[in-house]
Amino acid sequence: MFGEIFGAWVAVFLTFAIFSFLYKDNPFYKIAEHIFVGVSAGYWTSMFFWTQIQPNLFGRLWPSAQYSDGFWYGIYNFFGMISSSIFPEGGIDKGHDMHLTYLIPFALGIMMLLSLFKKLSWFARWGIAYTVGMAAGLRAYGYLNSNVLGQIRGTIIPLADPDLPMFSLLGASHFNNLIILVGTVTGLLYFFFSKEHKGNFGKVTRVGIYFLMISFGASFGFAVMGRISLLIGRFVELITYSSAQYHHATLWVLVIMVGLLGYSAYNDKDNPETEGS
Amino acid sequence: MKYISDLILKMSSVDRRWIFLVIALSVILPLYFPLGLPIRPTPTTQQVYDTIDALPHGSKILVSCEYGPSTKPEIHPMVLSVLRHLFKNEHKVYVTCLWPDGQFLASEALDLVGRDEYGLTYGEDYVLLGFRPGNEAVVKGIVSDIRKLYTIDAKGTKVTEIPMMNGVNRFEDFDFLFSASAGYPGTIEWVQYAADPTNVPMSTGTTSIQVNEVMPYVAAGQVQGILAGMPGAAEYEALIGVPGIGTSGMDAQSIAHLVIVLFIVLGNVGYLIERNRSKKY
Repeated sequence: MFGEIFGAWVAVFLTFAIFSFLYKDNPFYKIAEHIFVGVSAGYWTSMFFWTQIQPNLFGRLWPSAQYSDGFWYGIYNFFGMISSSIFPEGGIDKGHDMHLTYLIPFALGIMMLLSLFKKLSWFARWGIAYTVGMAAGLRAYGYLNSNVLGQIRGTIIPLADPDLPMFSLLGASHFNNLIILVGTVTGLLYFFFSKEHKGNFGKVTRVGIYFLMISFGASFGFAVMGRISLLIGRFVELITYSSAQYHHATLWVLVIMVGLLGYSAYNDKDNPETEGS
Repeated sequence: MKYISDLILKMSSVDRRWIFLVIALSVILPLYFPLGLPIRPTPTTQQVYDTIDALPHGSKILVSCEYGPSTKPEIHPMVLSVLRHLFKNEHKVYVTCLWPDGQFLASEALDLVGRDEYGLTYGEDYVLLGFRPGNEAVVKGIVSDIRKLYTIDAKGTKVTEIPMMNGVNRFEDFDFLFSASAGYPGTIEWVQYAADPTNVPMSTGTTSIQVNEVMPYVAAGQVQGILAGMPGAAEYEALIGVPGIGTSGMDAQSIAHLVIVLFIVLGNVGYLIERNRSKKY
């Protein structure tokens, strides 16, 4: 119970500390910002290590299923003396068989870490080259199949289907299909730069710009909606933590923080250097 | 008339901190005093519901959680609602995460809905396979051989010892995918590397900001419907008849949007008045 209440107070403090930036940059915001960056980095590192490197890399190099007294597991036992939680006695039991080919990604990973040392930083290029090459190969296929072919297929729609209504607000209709056709063609023509956007061609590409602007407007609307949703989420938690169960954490933290910021502003009012900072 | 113009000009040059305060009040007040505005499902939300509802009982469903605490208010209510729908229809639920922080949120959702509300058994009715780093490479791995990628689940249990993993070797062994996505990697990667190449049907729930990006896949039939941000979550809650945080946030959402629109109009009117005056003089 203490842990839950303490967590609520921390959550309330951090929320108000971040919100306080809306008033002006201040030490509360700086504290929250630094904690966020540090905790995120720590959490991600820990998750990556314990979900991938330890079970899937070390687990394949030194699996418990093939444990022996040979040289290879001698190295493992040496590491085990340094950290028995990462290298437990008798090999790593994560359901893998031994795959020494995993020494290659292990080496590439270490080479990437060498970028921290100026003289050896060129080693990192090998790891980066592998990552970039693999990602480019993977994405080329995915984009071609889903974004090019799939989207072209999606815009090949009947313009004279007798089953479709003339107008429909949300579903398929002759009018909506015509809009898709005109929007797709004019939008694509806008990005055709081999011909100057003048005359009739210019008028057509202008229609394309209008379609693009509508799309940007919709994106802006959705972005606003998303930010308000996140604000609602924080406020719901602040309201929850304002109850007696959490010793009115929201009210106390708000009063103390506003008081301190007000006191600081009062002290700084005659100091032009801190004004607006 | 001049008085009104002056007032609008004065308001459009107001300190931005007053605007923050008004937005904050427009969100807080409806949370304390709900208006009960009606929630009607949009066709894309209805499509998600209908697709899931049409799956035969006992289907194997993959739910992928690609979100974190920063997007929890939008995505988590969707995950809870979809899980309720899936468990109600007695489906087997397998949960993976492409984001590291998705794992503890998925665990929270499964404990709340699967264990506490439906009294289901971990490993027999639902399993949390957990997070694996690698972005689209993880999706490719699940498509080709899920057992190579996941030898253990999020609790460290070997997948060979989990009863509901019998017969699940690759993505095509699932009947449906629901991707709860807040960005990269997420819905788009699932479409590109899993759903499109294998023809396994998928639906998605995304943050509002992602909707425009994902909507073309929905329109082209590559994704079966989309839950669009918090309103999508609220609509799904209405469809399954279990109101949650999505529903309670909709009044605040509507009022805040109204206030923002008013500010935009006010700002533009102020700009036009100022432009006209500068032309005159």
